[in-house]
Amino acid sequence: MEITITALKGVPLLEIRGEIDHNNCGALETALGEVLDHGTTVVLLDLSRVTYIDSGGICVLLAGLRRIRDHGWLGVMGPNHNVRRILEIVGLVADPGFQVFADRSEAEAALPETASVETIPPANVTPEGDRT
Amino acid sequence: MTAALPPGIDRHITVRADTAQLAAVRRFVEEVAVEVALDVEKMFDLKLAVSEACANAVEHAGGEAMSLEVCARVHAQRLTFTITDTGLFHPPPPRWDRITNRGLGLPLMVALMDEVVFARAPGGGTMVSLSVALNRDIAASA
Repeated sequence: MEITITALKGVPLLEIRGEIDHNNCGALETALGEVLDHGTTVVLLDLSRVTYIDSGGICVLLAGLRRIRDHGWLGVMGPNHNVRRILEIVGLVADPGFQVFADRSEAEAALPETASVETIPPANVTPEGDRT
Repeated sequence: MTAALPPGIDRHITVRADTAQLAAVRRFVEEVAVEVALDVEKMFDLKLAVSEACANAVEHAGGEAMSLEVCARVHAQRLTFTITDTGLFHPPPPRWDRITNRGLGLPLMVALMDEVVFARAPGGGTMVSLSVALNRDIAASA
């Protein structure tokens, strides 16, 4: 599994590729935790290149959702048919704090125009030096 | 239309009880699933269920050196994977705890498989059998 942290309209975006399982979900937990530590109101995960997810990965999503639910939402984009089925079975899709988008453009359309003002980029994509 | 099942499929793999081996177990499931011409969705379900059963066994190994044997067998129009560990018998994991998210593996296994059986292995360890019916297409078109 590889994780790249970037942003979409100022909203933190975790691009994940590969298989998410019990063995590597700790890395996802760390990455998502660091993003959530910034108090962001929306976090997006690009799952379009995720080929597999097990209960370890689901637990990370559930824990992240629990942290953000009161003041925002967690969105995933592009899950394949099988990954989406698992998200449905565990009840994530039905959770009001969890959004599933078919693709990036659909996710982008759902983001508030003011998102970039409300959210802070995650630490590891903050530009080096002072650009302000 | 459904291809004839290869006669007497009987495969097994033995791995260390370590989550680092889960990917290897999934590749094994894939190989068998391809051999019996399972559809992509059922293949995914089996990979997940077998991987979850192995992850449970690893958790119960508690860091002790232990091995897991994963057997695949086709019989009576069913593909069954049996995961046997060499530790002490442990009962099925607890119900899903929504606070800690623990125990989510078993509900997933039950949701995705046609049959899930927990049993005490002859050697004292735990045996989990996960089965899917192979004749669904035939039954649906009958």
